[in-house]
Amino acid sequence: MPRRACHFLAVTALAIALCVLAILPSIPPDRQRAFPTGTIRIGVDASYPPFALDADGELRGLDIDLAAAVAREIGLPVQYRNLSFYGLYDALISGEVDVLVSALPIDAARMDDARYSSAYFNNGLVLVAADGAAAVDVKNLAGKRIAIEYASSTDSILHTWQADAGTIQRLPYELPDYALDALRLGQADAALVDNVSYRLYQRGRRGWVSTSQFITVDPYAIALRRDNHDAWQLVEAALEQLRANGELARLIANWL
Amino acid sequence: MFALGLLTIVALAGLGWAGAPPIAEQPLDVPQQVVQTQKPQVCAHTLLENEVEAVKILRSLEMTRELGAATIVQFFPWAYVESRQGHYDWARADSILRLARLQGLRIIARLGLTPGWARPTGTTLTFLPDAAFAAFADYAAAFAARYATDIQHIIIWNEPNLSAEWGFQPADPARYARLLAVSYARIKQVNPAAVVLAGALAPTLEKAGSSVGLNELDFLEALYKQGAGDHFDALAVHTYGFRAPPEAPPQPERLNFRRVELLREVMVNNGDSHKTIHITESGWNDHPRWLHAVRPSQRAAYTIRAYQYAEAHWDWLEALCIWALRYPVDLRGYPDGYTLINAEFLAKPVYYELKAYARGWSVGEALWLPAPDTG
Repeated sequence: MPRRACHFLAVTALAIALCVLAILPSIPPDRQRAFPTGTIRIGVDASYPPFALDADGELRGLDIDLAAAVAREIGLPVQYRNLSFYGLYDALISGEVDVLVSALPIDAARMDDARYSSAYFNNGLVLVAADGAAAVDVKNLAGKRIAIEYASSTDSILHTWQADAGTIQRLPYELPDYALDALRLGQADAALVDNVSYRLYQRGRRGWVSTSQFITVDPYAIALRRDNHDAWQLVEAALEQLRANGELARLIANWL
Repeated sequence: MFALGLLTIVALAGLGWAGAPPIAEQPLDVPQQVVQTQKPQVCAHTLLENEVEAVKILRSLEMTRELGAATIVQFFPWAYVESRQGHYDWARADSILRLARLQGLRIIARLGLTPGWARPTGTTLTFLPDAAFAAFADYAAAFAARYATDIQHIIIWNEPNLSAEWGFQPADPARYARLLAVSYARIKQVNPAAVVLAGALAPTLEKAGSSVGLNELDFLEALYKQGAGDHFDALAVHTYGFRAPPEAPPQPERLNFRRVELLREVMVNNGDSHKTIHITESGWNDHPRWLHAVRPSQRAAYTIRAYQYAEAHWDWLEALCIWALRYPVDLRGYPDGYTLINAEFLAKPVYYELKAYARGWSVGEALWLPAPDTG
């Protein structure tokens, strides 16, 4: 190799090394331990709108925006990895990604390997009634007409309610939207649907006023490797900040 | 189904590969029952081989009877029964059979899984070397002889057209035809009345040369070319609806419920129109996070319509078995969307709809109300 080329390479290597040294000290130690690549690598299943979807190669959705907001709070760039739902935890455990933000229910069976953040969304079942109606009182459903999605988990719950208060009239519909239509049109006293269906339905009908209460809890949370305590602390602190400044609520309202 | 292999592997891993878990045998003195059904084709695939507690086996079988299903498909792994060469341990199989008999259920037996002593080190349970064909056939014959009065239908292996179910080797119709021939001969020696089922063939679109498998149409055609037609009495088939309704017409390049009709054509073209088909796995999945799933309402409706379609159009069909009644544990993934009952024995709405259909309690009634007129 010519002497001039050697000199050039040596200078370049030194420059790169100086740049790296200049950057590294700017990352507090906890972030460096938590995300050694200097980037937060996010695993997401982009086949579950409105949480995440692949729009012609561009990932969009609540989880995408939330991951970006968390990364901003932490102060590191973000990199998404679109994975199948059933590959998410393998990617996390193997170290292919640092964090999973993918509408993940908190799963006790995963806790040997994963640690969850506090929940950022509850997709539990909600009992919805027209604004001001009394039917939303779960303890007083006798004689009420309850619209549900046929054969769904709401149907199972209604069966148990019927066993307790047999006079409940079950109105099964093919889709949650039809159950909510029945409520809105006065053909039902209440509708029992999941929170995502309810919020999406409301978005399309801004003039419709309703009340709701959660019947079950189905929290979605961010998952991290159990042994990466630094990352968990940073994500949890970021979520707390997003809650406190209203950003989390705004993100959810943007999509749901 | 491949998920079954996963369950088996999980079960064996938990057992240190030492064989079947011990049954906590209890004096389950239950009265003899009779299945009350209007639809004898209704059938469920059970997974009792990995169940530890006898009371759970009993409850599974009770709920099958209450469903109005007269038949179950049940796996009897060779690796469990003959974990030591030459020593058959029938305790688990005996227990399952006794409890099924008390519920009045007929069993279609599935045989498979190679014990460690019969295959090379490092191979999987689904790997069956040529040298072990005779030993497998001996097991099949011993099974057929022992249960000759109760079990007539025996399936030789599972999904041999999938690499994962064939020891992660390329699908090989010629090899499977040889396994079928030797097994058929041994079974018939000890129980001439036994019905030997080939298959069960898995639905797949894989072409020849694929490392994943070979589509079941080409696989069956190749079996006939190998002369396998003389070595099975009926065909076992797996057919799933995925996202298509049960009435969707069959096409070679599409996976749907009526794809079994294409296999029937292959049988007829090869002079086997007199043989029947048993669909030993079928159904729709309603897991919310699986791309091939349908909504719960669709799953229930499609399931009932599938039975109605089969009853109206398929006089060559003997049984239509739902995959699966229940897993011993919930798998916390999309396979859970196939079960009729969860691990805690809570029946899903599709179970109740199928029960109403099988027992003749609902005939042609709409499952849900029409969508409200929103103008």
